Amino acid sequence: MKLSTEQFNALEHELDSVKQQVQQQLGEADARYIRRVLLVQRISALSGRVLMVLGFITPWLWLAGVLLLALAKILDNMEIGHNVLHGQYDWMNDPVLHSKRYEWDIACDAGSWQRTHNFEHHTYTNIIGKDRDFGYGLLRLSNDFRWRLRNLWQGGTYLLLSMLFQWGVSYHELAAQRVFFGKKKADRHTQVSDSELKKAFFGKGARQLVKDYIFFPLIAGPMWLWVLCGNLLANLLRNLWTSTVIFCGHFTKEVHVFTAVECEGESRGQWYYRQMLGSSNFTGPTWLHILTGHLSCQIEHHLYPDIPARHYPAMAGQVQAIAAKYGIPYNTGSFVRQYSTVFGRIMRYSLPGGDKAVKAL
Amino acid sequence: MLGNQPTLTLYFLPLLQRFWPGFVPDQYRARLQAKQWQTADMLQLTLQVSPRWQGFVPGQHLLLTIEHNGRYISRPFSICSPLSLWQSQQHIQLCCKINRKAEFTPLLNQLQNGAVLNISAAQGGFYWLQPAVPTVFVAAGSGITPIASMLLSQRHWLAPATLFYRVRGAENAALLAELKQLAQRQPLFTLMLSDSRIAPAETLQQQLCADISNKQFYLCGPQAFMQQLRNTLSQHGVTAELIKQEQFGLAPPPASCSTTDPLLSANFIRAGFITAVTLNSQHSLLQSAEQYNLAPRFGCRMGVCFQCVCDKVSGQVRDMRSGALSGHGAEQIQLCISQPVTELVIKL
Repeated sequence: MKLSTEQFNALEHELDSVKQQVQQQLGEADARYIRRVLLVQRISALSGRVLMVLGFITPWLWLAGVLLLALAKILDNMEIGHNVLHGQYDWMNDPVLHSKRYEWDIACDAGSWQRTHNFEHHTYTNIIGKDRDFGYGLLRLSNDFRWRLRNLWQGGTYLLLSMLFQWGVSYHELAAQRVFFGKKKADRHTQVSDSELKKAFFGKGARQLVKDYIFFPLIAGPMWLWVLCGNLLANLLRNLWTSTVIFCGHFTKEVHVFTAVECEGESRGQWYYRQMLGSSNFTGPTWLHILTGHLSCQIEHHLYPDIPARHYPAMAGQVQAIAAKYGIPYNTGSFVRQYSTVFGRIMRYSLPGGDKAVKAL
Repeated sequence: MLGNQPTLTLYFLPLLQRFWPGFVPDQYRARLQAKQWQTADMLQLTLQVSPRWQGFVPGQHLLLTIEHNGRYISRPFSICSPLSLWQSQQHIQLCCKINRKAEFTPLLNQLQNGAVLNISAAQGGFYWLQPAVPTVFVAAGSGITPIASMLLSQRHWLAPATLFYRVRGAENAALLAELKQLAQRQPLFTLMLSDSRIAPAETLQQQLCADISNKQFYLCGPQAFMQQLRNTLSQHGVTAELIKQEQFGLAPPPASCSTTDPLLSANFIRAGFITAVTLNSQHSLLQSAEQYNLAPRFGCRMGVCFQCVCDKVSGQVRDMRSGALSGHGAEQIQLCISQPVTELVIKL
């Protein structure tokens, strides 16, 4: 850690005041915004499912239906679900948009997500061995991990993970707890028993499968195969999109990783510092920000996970200025550039050897 | 299952709210018919309630919910009107003490006639169980509201009832005209106004204890006032089951007083069990709950992960990060960053 204690305290103070400014403005406009997104989500989900059935008139209608359903699932998972489950809208006291009540259109149970993502990933961001989101226990993304033979084909593993992303997310906590395979880790503590984990995993997973692959095809009558394939395609599109966005948040080339020892007893200022170094943004038009659930502003999201995400783009300017003032790298770039460095990282570390060996290649 | 929400109504809520702005599930619509100042700070609202609303037992209260600045906020209010008004016209009346510095009640004064509010079903167990037994009612300040409803609703009077109504001057006595009319009309009912500016509390206690044989007591007012009365009554041999009281709707002690007191009592409700605890106002609620082995869900312990969010039923907390004070009513809080400011009831 390069900054002095005083600098860390000053950093904490400055970043806190950015948050306070936004917190004071929260109100009517935020409520109207998120309700409008929710309305668009509901309308695209319903019309998407109807249009798929109307595919018998022309397959173009079916295609439009698939795209609308994929859009609905992406909005539900990203701009609504992810952000609501962070408690960004708890202040509204709304019967739907509350972190304790919201359940989303994805195989992962909301409670499990809050434990692995909100707690583990957001508290221990990019600390090797503690943040299991760094490589998801499947990919070798830095030299802190020993090379294994299976890393040779991790490009393929990555593609598979992206295609089945919702199931990877849903299985994430069970893998950590070694519910089905492997020896339990002595240092892992949990508040939820294995049987509860299994119940949530199978319960939520089954509900999603029944909904998309049994119920809706069944009520579509003769169009059942079209609907089944359409739902499969919509889920696939959502999986690829969410995986891509999330990989751009923490696995770009310049992103830093940390050891558990250097983060022990860190102050709030040091935590902020680690969040800034461990995350990366990408730029784009407003619609792109919305489709990513504003995870395009991953740095701001990691600094302020409970601030309604629509404020992140405006906060980014202030955060970037603060980063420059303290000489902290601020990792941002176009979507294409950031994603290409993610892909580069996955391929680079699929080969054995440290940084030197990689550079020699 | 289809909408991933607990009910399909919640799934369709964004669409429903387009057609019925202000629609809230599990609540009933009420249209504001009239606003009238009963005293300088007591505003009486007359509401036309939805035909679906199931009615009330005089003495019960309801939660009034309004949306303000993007938030749903609710507060409990006792119904002060007689049952007959609801039966004949589907009207109910609420007497709301307007605290100009608070978040909620000043909004009521800004409402226009015709505004649509949301109310809960009537709730609470404070009602006149045995009108055939001689009864003494004691109301202080806004504590008059549930008692006025009980008295004004009574059709067949079977036994004498006396109301001791303690207020700071008759001009601050809400609903006085109605109660005076009742006293003129109904020989079994006696109204005793006790002016706190003239008569000390001891005088009221003496009057109250002058004849206590075979009587039941209904108390409603500030907590300290009721506690004092209760003690006096039990010293005179009145058993606890003959004393009924309603505690809600009181002005809670100002935050500045209670913060100096490091220990506060609270009730944690977990899976239906109530645990009475003593809280240290310097500790987070999460720490305190854990000290009592209540093991609430927790995560980051720094207000980030929202795993420890739970329902606060009543009382006020302070956000340890910003120092911001919460409201006094029901809302959700994060245990790990909340310190108690007043006495609390919390559902873990």
